[in-house]
Amino acid sequence: MAEETSKKNPEIVGFCCSYCTFKASEMAGSLRMKYPEGVKVIEVPCSSRVDPAFIIKAIVEGADGVFVSGCHPGDCHFIKGNFYTRRKIAALKEMFDAFSMKDRLRLFWVSASEARRFIDKVTSFYNYIKEKNDEREKA
Amino acid sequence: MKGKKLKSGDIENALNEFLKDGQHLVLGFKKDEKGVSHQIFKGSLDHHSLVNPVFGANAALYLRRLFSKGLKVVLMLRPCEIRAYVELHKLTQVEREDIIAVSIDCFGTVSSKEKKDDVPAEAGKLTEYFKDKGSMRWACSVCRERRGVVGDAGVRIDKSGNFWMVPYTERGEELVSGMEGELEEIPAEMLIPESPKTEKFEIDMETFNKDLEKCIMCMNCRDMCPVCYCIDCVFNGDEYLPKGDALLNKVFRTGSMQMPRGKDLFHLIRMYHVSQTCVGCGACEEACPQGIPLTKYFKGVSERLQGVFSYMSGRSFDEPIPYVTFLEDELKDAMD
Amino acid sequence: MKTGIFICHCGHNIKHTVDVKKLSEYFKKIPNVTVSKDYVFVCSEPGQDMIKDAIEKEGLDRVIIASCTPSLHGPMFKDVLRKSNLNPFLLRRVSIREHCAWVGNDVEANTEKAKRLILAGLYSSAHYVPLEEKIVDVQKSALVVGGGVSGLSAAIFLSKMGMHVYLVEKEAELGGHVRILKDVWPAGRDGKGIVEEMAGELEKQENVEIFTSTTITNFEGFFGNYEATLKTPEGEKRLTVGGAVLAIGFSPFDPGIKPELQYGKDKRIITTLEFENNSDTLRLPEKPRVAILHCVGSRDEQIGKPYCSRVCCVNALRVGNALKDKHKESYVESFYMDVRAHPKGGEEFFEDTQEKGVLFTRANVGEIIPTPSGVVIRGEDTLFGETFEREFDLVVLSIGMSSPKDCKLIANTFKIALDKDNFFMEAHIKLRPFDTAVKGIFIAGSCSGPKDVEESINHGRASAVKLFGLLNLGYTYVEPFISYVDPKRCSGCRMCEHACFSNAIKYDEEKRVVHVEEAACMGCGLCNATCPSSAISLRGYIDPMIDDEISGFTEAI
Repeated sequence: MAEETSKKNPEIVGFCCSYCTFKASEMAGSLRMKYPEGVKVIEVPCSSRVDPAFIIKAIVEGADGVFVSGCHPGDCHFIKGNFYTRRKIAALKEMFDAFSMKDRLRLFWVSASEARRFIDKVTSFYNYIKEKNDEREKA
Repeated sequence: MKGKKLKSGDIENALNEFLKDGQHLVLGFKKDEKGVSHQIFKGSLDHHSLVNPVFGANAALYLRRLFSKGLKVVLMLRPCEIRAYVELHKLTQVEREDIIAVSIDCFGTVSSKEKKDDVPAEAGKLTEYFKDKGSMRWACSVCRERRGVVGDAGVRIDKSGNFWMVPYTERGEELVSGMEGELEEIPAEMLIPESPKTEKFEIDMETFNKDLEKCIMCMNCRDMCPVCYCIDCVFNGDEYLPKGDALLNKVFRTGSMQMPRGKDLFHLIRMYHVSQTCVGCGACEEACPQGIPLTKYFKGVSERLQGVFSYMSGRSFDEPIPYVTFLEDELKDAMD
Repeated sequence: MKTGIFICHCGHNIKHTVDVKKLSEYFKKIPNVTVSKDYVFVCSEPGQDMIKDAIEKEGLDRVIIASCTPSLHGPMFKDVLRKSNLNPFLLRRVSIREHCAWVGNDVEANTEKAKRLILAGLYSSAHYVPLEEKIVDVQKSALVVGGGVSGLSAAIFLSKMGMHVYLVEKEAELGGHVRILKDVWPAGRDGKGIVEEMAGELEKQENVEIFTSTTITNFEGFFGNYEATLKTPEGEKRLTVGGAVLAIGFSPFDPGIKPELQYGKDKRIITTLEFENNSDTLRLPEKPRVAILHCVGSRDEQIGKPYCSRVCCVNALRVGNALKDKHKESYVESFYMDVRAHPKGGEEFFEDTQEKGVLFTRANVGEIIPTPSGVVIRGEDTLFGETFEREFDLVVLSIGMSSPKDCKLIANTFKIALDKDNFFMEAHIKLRPFDTAVKGIFIAGSCSGPKDVEESINHGRASAVKLFGLLNLGYTYVEPFISYVDPKRCSGCRMCEHACFSNAIKYDEEKRVVHVEEAACMGCGLCNATCPSSAISLRGYIDPMIDDEISGFTEAI
């Protein structure tokens, strides 16, 4: 963000909750499903652990996109954590929108059995960011 | 809405009566030959002014960590200051039990950096002043609540120039009952109307970075913000703004670095931290030695984020701050 | 700081797509890294010894193991540190297999990704501090939910091994679906007999309490000390148990969901279950014409049941056999997609059935039309590519197994996950098929996926063995990942207290700071994220750890 470096491939940082999304990412690995190498995952016990300051830091330090993923609302292993996540990330998205970078932050819910959903979500996010980067390069 | 129509001197009489008790104080405005400033009145209300047309600091700043019980304080301040006080109360940074907060209709202010001696401290004259000459602070020109409708009671001015004292809570009723006159319906239309809705704030990162070029990371904005309440700010540590050895480590791991670094990180994270409690008073910009237009960012972003939850900072003592509560069925389109 | 980095090849699982040698060489040059090695199987004995030696010889104070995902071999690697007198929480696991080698194709990109993941781990682990696991007593008792054969099997094993067992059954009688089966293949025993034998064995045990017509209304706590609330016919009952085995069975597929089958509209269209129970009373003509439809309610994308129900092919074969045994001159035709007679003896049974004269037609059944003279089936023979239309006196639908009706309720009560077909989800499909994500709660039988009787009984016993293994020690370690407050930095705003839904944070009016009630803290970290100055932190996931992990990914991009 401080400098517009021309990257060949987007770097995506993802925050995944231990009990749901991270488990799904493990299953995706076990099943040898593929997703772009630029996607790197940070494990947190609950998506509610994610402080918007982390996301801002990731973006400022050069990540092209950040996603936060947890259990579906109502199914949180810690019962209510993800309801708070939803509020915080919705607010942060609004702030990103104010700075015209709404598309660099995504929130999705992936439960532990949804390996395919995890793959689909991260891959489509990665491809979207890549497209946007390519468009900006051309301009 | 019921209030008491005031005659000249009514407020001063009531407050002087209040101040007879040695344990009672009033935080309000004083006007003397040097100008208008914030004053804590003890014993008597000498040189009191209902209007403070110069903005140096948001007085709620002085209320932080005020926990004493047994004394009583009446606040006679601008709406933005009372709103900040309400937020501080929600953050348990001030003890509400002995405070009666009165917000006064505000016509706008000039910056204390302007050093204008000719700014009038009377309601009617002030409106004229801002029409002809004199630069009203940008924060005031787009203020979302200039009316004295927040806190425990308010001082409202109607179109004919009459002053009204309107209670909003039990505490306010207690204060108003000590005043002369009877409660009657206040006029529907007042001198200061409801603020028009402003457009959603939008900017791009390039402009933001350009605006921050002059930032020297003095942190004045943070220090003067009434709702930046942390007693040990996260930016004092090394996580986001490393200093000394931690800074050198970062350079070794990353590469050459322009200093001061972390400007965007500091302002963006602070923007999120105060997003639900910012009252748009512009104290940050006022304190900035470099004149960076901080108000537009902080006010703009906080209003958008408060809007997501239909929340308005300082509007009510009972509304919980949005990040510590939730509804099960909400924000369906937050998910991607 | 003296960090040791151990990079696993995992045979060729990681080595195949990640240049492990390049990585171990790279990290040798990184400051604070004392040891950087790669090895074929770090989890093996020599691998573990290598780590132990390095810790002792080099005086390492941090260990990073870059290998498979952290949920595997967790306790084992922690033990390696313990044995070398290093606190087990100074270990950082980096997943370069499930999250790198196995999910990427390009070796260069994968190696770069693995490098960043290990770097992130290195920076993060610099903030690790020794933590103490608390030792907590464990109740040597178990709750078994469901009195079918898998529940009974689990209960018998647990009680014989000395655990106090509470068996809870929703219905008035034990036995579940097996009780109503007349003929359990291959032995030919009747289900009621099997169930009575098992229940009898259980009732003889002194350390067993059986509750029928009982449901579970609440379940909370943590492994070793769970509190269950039962609703029995006599009223409410509270129990404290060490763990639970969930064996609530399955729901037979209801063909009513597919109106084209005309099930329920005509008495001549029945399910295999109904055939089994009423075969004596079914009134069929002398030379009956019977159709058997396979895969009803299974392998069907349209109704959201794409899975194979495993047991229905053998059921269909049994129907065919029974018909041919009773009516030698019958015309029996099975319409199938595949015949999956998987158990031991199944293939031979399939051949026998064909020799008895049951016809097998590979077909897609299109329409079922009841007429006065018979039920007409129209379809397409997929081997010959021809359409057909034939009339039958009886149509038997070989129905599949669906997830149990109470799956969502029980999943919510016990906080476990459901898979995409709404069966209970196992912790790992290959390596931990009886565990759930919640420690101490196991699943058994068909509630975790279609199984036949033999598999269900075995599954029940296996889950019981696993639970026994956990409970038998009598104590367990409680992970220390709970929050703590730095009172010097806490401003007493109470935002964390308002947010905490476990009521684990309390405000001290005098000191004007908050503190954490450790027993109630669940370790989610919401408080840490809510506090703007992070004066309250979640041990094990404090801000500097995560911030530096981010830096590991983003620096020098």
